[in-house]
Amino acid sequence: MTSIGEEQEIRALFSELKLADEQTAPGFTAVWHRAQARSLRPRRAFNLSFAVATGLLVCALATLAFWSTRSQPVAPAAASAVMSAEASSFAPRAEKSTVAGAPEPRQYSVPLVKNRVRRLVAPRHAQEIAASQQLTKEAKAIASWQSPTSDLLSSPSDGLFKSLPQLNENANELKSFLPNRENDKEK
Amino acid sequence: MTRSVSVKIDPMQIAELKAELERLHSASFGWALSCCRRDQTEAEEVLQTVYLKIFEGKARFGGESSLKTWLFAVIRKTAATEYRRRLLRSFRLTGDPEEMVERFAINEAQSAGVERSELQGHFQSAMKSLPRRQREALHLVFYEDLSLREAADVMGVSIGSARQHYERGKKRLRESLATMELGYDINWRRAGNPSAV
Repeated sequence: MTSIGEEQEIRALFSELKLADEQTAPGFTAVWHRAQARSLRPRRAFNLSFAVATGLLVCALATLAFWSTRSQPVAPAAASAVMSAEASSFAPRAEKSTVAGAPEPRQYSVPLVKNRVRRLVAPRHAQEIAASQQLTKEAKAIASWQSPTSDLLSSPSDGLFKSLPQLNENANELKSFLPNRENDKEK
Repeated sequence: MTRSVSVKIDPMQIAELKAELERLHSASFGWALSCCRRDQTEAEEVLQTVYLKIFEGKARFGGESSLKTWLFAVIRKTAATEYRRRLLRSFRLTGDPEEMVERFAINEAQSAGVERSELQGHFQSAMKSLPRRQREALHLVFYEDLSLREAADVMGVSIGSARQHYERGKKRLRESLATMELGYDINWRRAGNPSAV
């Protein structure tokens, strides 16, 4: 069979299939109207996969936020908040009266922030104090350390090596520092 | 369900499009059937979705290619999306891939009812055994009378690639048809004369 003949055969098979399909094809109007009806139908408001994806995203974000709050060192803003809160507690009452005309800040905000910051800062602060105490102890121990054989290095003439002759000492005492020349000559 | 923002097309455009779609309806249905592995219900649903997309302005004809090519590309894409969705849904419902395969086998058996002659049956089986791209290329060229360039546009591939799919598909179809015919001849001879062959 030549390739042209084969192609014609394939074409004939396809046209036979096409004829069969045309007979079973639904009418255009019916399909079009059904499509139009579908467009008018209200859409389902709740999409399960979308809700699940959103939930997962929210969970991930919350975890990330929690983790970052826990792992980060005390933020300067938080520290300054503590400082300002403490400073405000020691501030004289008179200052408040000077700004009486100005609108007062919300009363609940400072203690709330203070408590929250304290709650967050307190355990870390305690840990830092414990660590510094430990360091001080170790430094002291190192400074006071003595070798167990240090006594063997000491001798009776240590005083001579460790001291200098004084100018106001008499000549006889100074002689003890001079080399013995007579003995050298005898030799 | 897709929830993209829909743009309403003006009624004049819709009327024009509707007339064109009506003219292309039977060809579109044939192409939808091919994209849905000859499942009539699925093909009808796909075509409905395509019309809905056009009606709502989600699929818009830009005029870069012919309307037929554009429409066929939309059908192909919609059929692929619907197939994926259906597959996911059935996996979620049954959770058993074997049951899934059985269900598709039933669908295939239902569509086999349309098959007319024995040769047509062989032909359709041979077509189903082809890879998707090759099947598409052959269908677009022989069934829809499109040129290779137009087929390439519909398939979303280069013309060289489309030509390759077309040639390979033709070769494989020829081979499998020849094998089936030979097998059929032998079976037929055996049935007529058991001592023969």
